[in-house]
Amino acid sequence: MTITLPPAVSRRGLLKGTGALAGAAALGSVPRRARAQSKSLRILVAGDPFYYALDGLKQQFKDETGIDPQIESISLEALQARLTSSFVSNQPDSDVISVDQMWLGQYLESKWILPLNDLIKADADVDIKDYIPEVLYSMNTWRGQVGTLPVAAYGQCVLYRKDFADAAGFAIPTDGSWSWADYLAMIKKMNGQTFDGGKMTGTVVAGQQPAPIVHMYTQLAASMGTRWFKSFPASKAWDFDPTIDTPENLDALKLFVELYKNSPPEAVGYNWFDAGMRFAKGNIGMFYWWTPYSYLCRKDGYMSGKDSVIADKIGIVRLPMAPGKEQVISIGGHSLGITANTAERDSAWKFIKWATSAKTQKAMALYDKYGHQFSDFARPSLYKDPDLLKLYPYLPAQMADLQRGNGKIVRPPCPVYTTLEGIYGLNLNKVLAGDLEPAQALKDTQTFFSTILKGNFLIPYKQPSYDDTLEATKQLMASLG
Amino acid sequence: MTAALRANPVARPPRRLRSLLPYLLISPSIILLLALIAFPLLFALKNSFYFWNLQMSPNPMGFIGLGNYTMAWSGSLFLGALWNTLVLTILGTAIEFVLGLAIALLLVRQLPGLNVVRALLILPTTIAPIVVGFLFRYMYDPGGGLIPWLLHAVGIPLPPQGLLGSGETALASVLFADVWQWTPFFAIVLYAGLLSVPPDIVEAARLDRASAWAMLTRIKLPLIRRTALIVVMLRFMQLFNTFDLVLVLTRGGPGTSSRTLGYSLYQQGLMDFNIGLSSAMTWMMVIIVNAIIGLFAFFAFKDLD
Repeated sequence: MTITLPPAVSRRGLLKGTGALAGAAALGSVPRRARAQSKSLRILVAGDPFYYALDGLKQQFKDETGIDPQIESISLEALQARLTSSFVSNQPDSDVISVDQMWLGQYLESKWILPLNDLIKADADVDIKDYIPEVLYSMNTWRGQVGTLPVAAYGQCVLYRKDFADAAGFAIPTDGSWSWADYLAMIKKMNGQTFDGGKMTGTVVAGQQPAPIVHMYTQLAASMGTRWFKSFPASKAWDFDPTIDTPENLDALKLFVELYKNSPPEAVGYNWFDAGMRFAKGNIGMFYWWTPYSYLCRKDGYMSGKDSVIADKIGIVRLPMAPGKEQVISIGGHSLGITANTAERDSAWKFIKWATSAKTQKAMALYDKYGHQFSDFARPSLYKDPDLLKLYPYLPAQMADLQRGNGKIVRPPCPVYTTLEGIYGLNLNKVLAGDLEPAQALKDTQTFFSTILKGNFLIPYKQPSYDDTLEATKQLMASLG
Repeated sequence: MTAALRANPVARPPRRLRSLLPYLLISPSIILLLALIAFPLLFALKNSFYFWNLQMSPNPMGFIGLGNYTMAWSGSLFLGALWNTLVLTILGTAIEFVLGLAIALLLVRQLPGLNVVRALLILPTTIAPIVVGFLFRYMYDPGGGLIPWLLHAVGIPLPPQGLLGSGETALASVLFADVWQWTPFFAIVLYAGLLSVPPDIVEAARLDRASAWAMLTRIKLPLIRRTALIVVMLRFMQLFNTFDLVLVLTRGGPGTSSRTLGYSLYQQGLMDFNIGLSSAMTWMMVIIVNAIIGLFAFFAFKDLD
C-alpha cells in the first residue's frame, strides 16, 4: 500500500497560484465559462396543466441551449402575492414568470416585466403571425405593447355526457346554433333522469367566490350582452362607469340561478376543479367551462393519469348564444413574461421562445406521462395538425370559439380588476346562497363598483386612454411579424 | 497612589459608566425587539394613512388621513367579519377550554394506556392548519365525507348544500375543525397544571368528603388558574387571527357567513393589494384584540400578584 503525498507547496508558489486564480476570477474567464456550462434559469408559473407538460420536456430545452430551466409551480393567488412582493421589494425572485392577463397592465405600467415588442420584431423565430389574434388581444397586449406570449390559451365550451344525451334523445348542436334558453331547457329535462343505474343531475356550476363564480358567470353574462363598463377598453375615451345593473345582466343572473337549481346544491362552494371533477364522476348531464376541462374531465383526478368513468363518453360543443346579441367567448390562460429585475434576459427570452413555439406546444400535447393533458394552443397551425386532431378531436370547436373570443370584454383587465372581482364574486355567491335577490345583488354590485372606481380615481378617468381594439392588435402583429 | 492602582489590575469603571451598564446590556434586546415588532407596526401605521393600492401604482399615491379607517369601518364587510371573528374566538376558546380540561382531568387519573393517549393528543397540534383544512374539506364532503355520514347516521338533518355550503353551518364547521386541532393543546397544558397541584391538598379535601365538582371548582381550578388564564389568552389571540382554515374550507362563504378578520385582511392585502386599507385594518385589529386582552388580563389577574 502506498500513500501519495501532496507536492510540497512553497510560500511563493502559493502566492503565485492565488494571484493567478484571483486574476482569472476578476477577468471572469474561468467562472464565466463554468457558468455558461451550467447556467440555470428560474421560472415561476401557475400550476395549471401546461406546467406538467413543460416540466416534463425541460430536458429538451437544456439539450438545445445548455441552460437548465428550474421550473417551479404554485397556485395563481400565491403566484401573484409572491411576484408582487418580489417586485415591490426589488428582490429578484424569477427570470421568467407566468402572468395572468388581469395583471398585465399593472406589471407593464409598474415596469415589473419587460415589453416584448422589440424582441419579437428582432426575432423571426417567434412567428408572431401564427397566433390567434383574439388570443393575443385578450391575453398579451396592453396599450399597444406585447408584454407576454401565451403558453396556454383557454376558451369556454360545453361538455356533456354523450351516451346519456344520445340515449335520452337530446339533439345538441355542435356548431353553436343554440341559445342559452335552449341550453337551460335541456338541462332541466336532463335533471332527475335515471341513467346508467343512477340519477342524473342537470348541470354543475362553480359557485365559489370570488374568482370561480365570476369566471363562469361572466361568460354567460357577456354572451347575453352584459358589459362591465360604459366604454373600456375599445374606446378613444375610457369611461369606467359600471354597467352591471342592467336588464340583460339581470336576465343572465336569473338564468344562472336556474342553472344552479339544476346543479348539486353543494356547488355553491365549488371552485374550478371541483366543478370539473363533479362532471367527471358521470352523473352530470352537461355544463360549460374552460376548455382544459375537455381533457381534464377524461381523468379521475388532477394529473392522476387514470381515466374517469366518462373518459370516452364526453361530447364537446360550442357555447350557446343569445338571440340578437353578438357572441363573445371568454379567453383566459397563462402567458410567459420576462421580469425586469432579472440578470438573465437573453436566456429568459430563449426559454419563452422555446416554450411558446409550435414545436414545443405540439410536444407538450403529445407528452403522455399523465395521459395527454394539454391542448391549449394559441397557434392556429396546431389546430390543423393531424396528429393533434387525432388525440384531441374537439380542436375545431375550440378554435371556432377562440376566434369569437374577447377576454377584454368578458373580464376587462381594468386597473382594480381583482377588487371588483371580489365584490362581484361575493354578491353572485350570495345570490346562489339565497342571501340576496338577483336584482338587489346587481344593484349592490353596481354601487360598490362605483365607490371603488371613484376611490381609485378611475371615475372620472383623467389619464390617457388607448383605443384597445382587436384591429389594433392585428396591426401590431403585422408590424412585428 | 499609582503603585496602589498597579497593585489592583481590575480597575473599577467610572460611576457614570456603572450607572449606564444595565441599559447597555439590555440595549441589544431592546433594539432587536424594536426592529422585529415596532418597526413593522409603525410602518403599517404610516401606510394606513396613505392611499396605496399596488393595482394602481407601486408607490403610495397620496396622504388621505383617516380615509382608510373610515372606509374599513363604514363597509359592512369589516363589521360582519368582526362579528364572525368574535363568535369564532369566544366560542372556540370556551369549548376548547372545557373539553381540554375534561381530557386533562381524565389524564391525571393515571388510567392504563395513558402514555399512548398523551402521544396521540399531541398529534393534531403538530399538523399545519392548512393541512387540517384539507383533511376536514374531505371529511365534510357531502358526497361521502365521514362527518355528514356520521351526522346522518344519528339522525341529524344536514343542509342540502353540505355543511360548508350553508350559511347556517359554515362557521360552525370551521369552528369544529379548530376545536379538533386545538383542544389537545388545552388538555396538555392543563394536565401539566393539574400535575402541579399538591396531592396533600386534594387528599385533605377528599377526607373532608368534598364532592368532585367542589374539588374541581374550589381547589384544582383556583390552583391552576394562572396557567389556565395564560393558555386562554394565547388561544384567544390565535383564534382572533384565524385565516388558514377559512381559506381552505370556505373562503369566507357562502356569502360572508364565515368571513373572519384574518381572511378579510388576506383578501385586502394579498389579493386586492390595497396596502393602505389592509394596514388600517391591521391596526384596527391590533387595537381591538389588545383592548379585549387588556380587559381580560386586568380582571383575571387583578387579585394575583
